[in-house]
Amino acid sequence: MKRTLILSAAICALLTAAVFAFGDIARPKPTPAPGKTVLYTGLTILPDAKATEARLQISRETLKSIQAALANSGADESMTQRVMHSSTRTIMAGVFMFLAVSFGGVWLARSGQRRSHKTIAAALLIAFVFGTATVIVRANAGPPGYVRWASLSQALKDGKATDGGLDIEIVPGDEYMRLIIPIRKTPKPGEE
Amino acid sequence: MERAANISLAAWPSALVTNRARVSPRIFAAMLVGSAAFSVALASWLPLQVSIATVFLFAGPHNWFELRYFLMRLPARFGRSRNFFAVAFAGIFFLTAAYLAMPALYYLNLWSGANWPDAIATWNTLLLLWLGALVVLRGKQNSRRDWFWALPVVFMLCALNWLAPQLFSLAIVYAHPLVALWFLERHLRRTRPQWLRTYHRCLILLPLLVVGMIWQLSRTSSLADDNGLFWRITQHAGADLLPRVSSHMLVSLHVFLEMLHYGVWIIALPLIGATGAVWKVRTIPLARRRGGFPGLIAAVLVFGLFVVALLWFGFSVNYPAMRDVYFAVAIAHVLAEAPFLLRMI
Repeated sequence: MKRTLILSAAICALLTAAVFAFGDIARPKPTPAPGKTVLYTGLTILPDAKATEARLQISRETLKSIQAALANSGADESMTQRVMHSSTRTIMAGVFMFLAVSFGGVWLARSGQRRSHKTIAAALLIAFVFGTATVIVRANAGPPGYVRWASLSQALKDGKATDGGLDIEIVPGDEYMRLIIPIRKTPKPGEE
Repeated sequence: MERAANISLAAWPSALVTNRARVSPRIFAAMLVGSAAFSVALASWLPLQVSIATVFLFAGPHNWFELRYFLMRLPARFGRSRNFFAVAFAGIFFLTAAYLAMPALYYLNLWSGANWPDAIATWNTLLLLWLGALVVLRGKQNSRRDWFWALPVVFMLCALNWLAPQLFSLAIVYAHPLVALWFLERHLRRTRPQWLRTYHRCLILLPLLVVGMIWQLSRTSSLADDNGLFWRITQHAGADLLPRVSSHMLVSLHVFLEMLHYGVWIIALPLIGATGAVWKVRTIPLARRRGGFPGLIAAVLVFGLFVVALLWFGFSVNYPAMRDVYFAVAIAHVLAEAPFLLRMI
């Protein structure tokens, strides 16, 4: 008993010391808040030899859409984003999925042998159908956005317009607007 | 024998008039298809206006018919179903109170509405667990049934609910009207079996109509929700949660399903005798049994009629506010459908 008490006291002292030790560690630098995509639209970059100032033209409808998207920015998040932003919900969903799989297993074990085989076969078939459907759908997905911007530098040299998709992202702060173009460096022949 | 004694034949008076069905299955099918097509046309053409009119006219009466139906299906003595009904009534009471408490606390400034999705997810979880408990209890009433599978299904639904609580609630809004079609199926199975095959064929038409509506309306521009009432209607149909989907399509779809729901409760089920003769209190087992409560049952039904009239008056005075109140309180009838449907399976 005495030995247990001493051991417990030593562990408590060690844990307390650890808290104080961590208390002395410098605060991590605050990471800047990430931007939030509120709307997906399109952008045309058009070189103009006669213009004296860069101009950003936004149609009235697009502006309305941006305002509406900003107002509903919470609802406009994808499901993955919403789940990522809520640890409580992720934990609860995980717990219930665990329970579902566990109870499903118990139910399968309790069911008759023949019925179990049928159920497992049905479950595998459904999983196969969903998996195949996912592969097909993903395989039919359009090309990534950067493909449409690949010819931008050449088009600018030639004085031609380039169209592509655009995510409108709201970032904190009061800096100038920035346009980030996804340009992939294409390896030249003989270059790794 | 005990189980057989618990079966209330009084709840199935129309079973005695099966052979008296004068309407042929073809006419029955024509009525169903015609009603569905008419509802689709109206809901697609003027979704907001039809939504206002249908809720005004039928929301109250359909609740009264449901009340009449539930009283009719309540056994004269609970017997072995005592636990089932105890859990059912406790759940209806507690879940309704919790559902009403959320907006009430918000409007009384006692809750800021922070973590609203978590609160919704918790309520949905309690609802699912309650349904799971009812299924298990109902399954235990018959030794040949093994309804243990309901538990993994309920837990999986709980997990999905926690991933997207508001979308899960929206799914309940769209799924609830379809429950009426299940009630109708169970009644036809027992009272008009000769119509059942026709009914099942007509049900195939439902997904086709829904897909057709989605196909036709998905590219339409969203409805102008520039006033409080129109905004409420589009929000109720999920326009806020699905901002990239045409609100015209969402409202039309919801109105169509609601019209089917009202049609089943107000027209179809009373016509096949599922609710008994509306004016005869003695068709209700609780009123008819020895030492029953005919006076109390009559008072409840008359009070129900008074509430329907009050609802119409409220809609006439302030439709938007009354609509909000109605859809909050109406959760009770949504919940009450679950135990009575389970009793019929």
